[in-house]
Amino acid sequence: MELRWYHFAAWAAFVVFMFLMPEMVSKGTLRIFIFANFLAVFAISWDVLSGRTGYVSFGHPFLIGIGAYTTAILTKRFDVPVELSIPIAVIVTMIAGLLVVLPALRIKGSYFALITLAYMELIYQLVQVIRPDLTGGTRGMSGLPTLTRGAVNGYYMSLTLMVIVAFCVWLLMRTRIGTALSAIGMNEEAVKGSGLSVTRLKLFAFLLSALIAGLGGAFYVHYLGSIAPRALFDINFVFTIIVAALIGGASTTIGPIIGAFFLTFLLEYLRPYLPGAERYFIYGGVALLLYMYQPKGIYEIINQGWSKVRARS
Amino acid sequence: MSASLKITNLVKKFGGLTATNDLSFTVEPGQSVGLIGPNGAGKTTVFSLVMGEHRQTSGSIMLDGEELSKMTTPARIRRGVSRTYQVPRPFAEMSVAENIRVGLMPDSVFGMILKGPNRDRELELAMAVGFSENDLDRTPAELSMGDLRKLEMARTMATDPKVMLLDEVFAGLTVAEIAMISGLVQKMRSDGMTFLIVSHDLKALEPLVDTAIAINYGSMVAQGSYGDVMSSEAVRASYLGEA
Ligand SMILES: Nc1ncnc2c1ncn2[C@@H]1O[C@H](COP(=O)(O)OP(=O)(O)OP(=O)(O)O)[C@@H](O)[C@H]1O
Ligand SMILES: [Mg+2]
Repeated sequence: MELRWYHFAAWAAFVVFMFLMPEMVSKGTLRIFIFANFLAVFAISWDVLSGRTGYVSFGHPFLIGIGAYTTAILTKRFDVPVELSIPIAVIVTMIAGLLVVLPALRIKGSYFALITLAYMELIYQLVQVIRPDLTGGTRGMSGLPTLTRGAVNGYYMSLTLMVIVAFCVWLLMRTRIGTALSAIGMNEEAVKGSGLSVTRLKLFAFLLSALIAGLGGAFYVHYLGSIAPRALFDINFVFTIIVAALIGGASTTIGPIIGAFFLTFLLEYLRPYLPGAERYFIYGGVALLLYMYQPKGIYEIINQGWSKVRARS
Repeated sequence: MSASLKITNLVKKFGGLTATNDLSFTVEPGQSVGLIGPNGAGKTTVFSLVMGEHRQTSGSIMLDGEELSKMTTPARIRRGVSRTYQVPRPFAEMSVAENIRVGLMPDSVFGMILKGPNRDRELELAMAVGFSENDLDRTPAELSMGDLRKLEMARTMATDPKVMLLDEVFAGLTVAEIAMISGLVQKMRSDGMTFLIVSHDLKALEPLVDTAIAINYGSMVAQGSYGDVMSSEAVRASYLGEA
């Protein structure tokens, strides 16, 4: 729990290494890194809620989508500058998420997962029928303002976002709130029995998760410059987020980042051999094997490896 | 730091089953009362009702004259009641220190974030129930049943209660551990803590209580000094006869 100098040294080393990446790899690889950075943000967002408290969300694209659509519509249809539209998008995500998920916070287990999944489907349908002049309907929108030009700048932008989100969440989760949220995942009744208002804690986790999802979604559309509903509100996208958090290490901050990078590169390297959706079977298999080997994920495998090295020296 | 617990005409029905049947009794400030009865008599149900984990069908529960019945569990804990669980419920992937930490937390998100854990108090509570400093980093998986009960006790104490409800704290403990927990209860009694104690281990219970209440099928069958209750006809028939 205590912050030590080597924690900050590790963060600094990670940031420096990541910032030197454009010197070391091709533009093509850099573009893969960009997706990995965004996926890491989404996986962290998912983990704050689901990894910690055990309330599994299958609807994170719902939150990401609200953030993405809000800023897309504001900039494209109303000429709102990006500096304003992104904060608005984040707030709208938090509010919309709140209204919709508030009832779901009283529901436990698989029902919560189902309800969140239903919201994602619902918004996918709504986007197409309600005001397609604003949302672009089935075809989505293109020609949105982009924040960066070229792979290198896109990489730096996505990396900065990811590092800031990761560092803030990491700091926050090292405080007692992190302990309390994890405690909910382990035994919700006992948290109540310890005198803590579980609903308020879950609400906090949800709002934080929505904030990060909205932020990630908004930056993502302004990186892409376009938005396509079928790619966004897609069950494969949900699974990619969840699997990234799980195989990296749920209930940690570093785990989802590791998982996001691992998954993105795995999918990318499989692409030449399996161009279609079959790739998802492979990663499902890899995820399952990893999960059976170490349910706490890659982060725990690295941790244990590190302890062994230290014990030997 | 002490408070009274007054239960009046308490009724709890689980469907057709009356688990608590018109129960009335008072635990005076600083008093320690034993609650006895055979398996399924409704002892744990009384605790759940006091804590608000189950809502009573009717009747009233007052802590120091304040009605608890409409309050949430955390609100009741803030007022000063706290309980242990018959089946310990530790946070499985947390250390002993972190388990106690959850009990010590303020019920405020900002309070949790802005202030760090009170490690001295965590250690103090751990030591009070008989852990050593080395135990702080151990996880529940490494603990014996006795240790889990001690942890349960420490987390209950962490909420700073005025009235403590102990549910079978001696079950699964060694003789030495029973002596340790008894000593702890005695110490808290002398500091003025109010206790309601459920235990099947009557030998361990006797020295810890001022008076006793016997229930069966949710109803009171005897009340009074420990000796009187134990020798009453009704108790001998329903309780000792069975054991
Ligand atoms: N949540 C519940 N739903 C339905 N019935 C319940 C529930 N909780 C308890 N009961 C029933 O209420 C009765 C009293 O149970 P309770 O657990 O209070 O007994 P107890 O005196 O604590 O028993 P033990 O000594 O075995 O711990 C039992 O018949 C039990 O089956
Ligand atoms: Mg019981």
